[in-house]
Amino acid sequence: MLPTSCPSCHSQLKVKCLKCENCETEVSGLYDLPVLALLSSEDQQFILRFVINSGSLKEMSSELKLSYPTVRNLLNEIINKIKTDEK
Amino acid sequence: MINPFTRIAGWQAFGIGLAVVVATGITGAFSHVAFDGAIDMHLTQKLSVLNSFLFLAIDLFSVVIIMTATGFIISKSFRIIDILGTMTLSRVPLILIAFAGYFTVSPDINEILKNPYVVFHSVSFIIFSILSIPVIIWTIILMFNALKISCGVKGSKLGTAFIIAMLVSEIISKMLIYKFVII
Repeated sequence: MLPTSCPSCHSQLKVKCLKCENCETEVSGLYDLPVLALLSSEDQQFILRFVINSGSLKEMSSELKLSYPTVRNLLNEIINKIKTDEK
Repeated sequence: MINPFTRIAGWQAFGIGLAVVVATGITGAFSHVAFDGAIDMHLTQKLSVLNSFLFLAIDLFSVVIIMTATGFIISKSFRIIDILGTMTLSRVPLILIAFAGYFTVSPDINEILKNPYVVFHSVSFIIFSILSIPVIIWTIILMFNALKISCGVKGSKLGTAFIIAMLVSEIISKMLIYKFVII
């Protein structure tokens, strides 16, 4: 799991360096993490399952064995988190 | 026990809830427990099966209509079937009160009017009254969670809206019962 917050002060981390495993080239800078990477692993898993189920809340509810409104509320919470992170 | 709606909602909840409400209506008619209000019940001397069902139908209708209206005010998106299903399922605990009515001897209304303290002479009536309190609280908690899950709303907005909706449901159900049910 990609760390997204500082273990010392809990501020949001940024990407400082990326490396090509093929030619060993390193790209340095200060890049923002993708919004989806900022979500918890549970939320990321939920989004993954949501996409795999063609965005069907009904299919999600039967897969997760949760009621339809519960799944919709989980999705709404993730949407709110993404909107907050985007700001 | 207090929030089955994370797993059951919609038509499934409505089906289970309706079956128990029907059983409550039949049991209530024979045990003389009239559910004559959204969160209200009384022991009666005589209660027909028709009136028992009419009371429960009016109660459920009032609750669903008012909670749906509340949903439109506090929530951006919800399904009416979830309100209908979860609110119907919320009324399941009331069957316990209907059963308790079998074992309760209610003092005569004329005697109560003459001397209200006569109710304290009936042990079964006191037990019935004490038992009904936690059941009513359980029902109200279920109804609160039903609105919370169905509308996806939290916090003080939900609490305030629920209290107002409950009071309005009780008033509407009482008005409809006195208008349409011949006792």
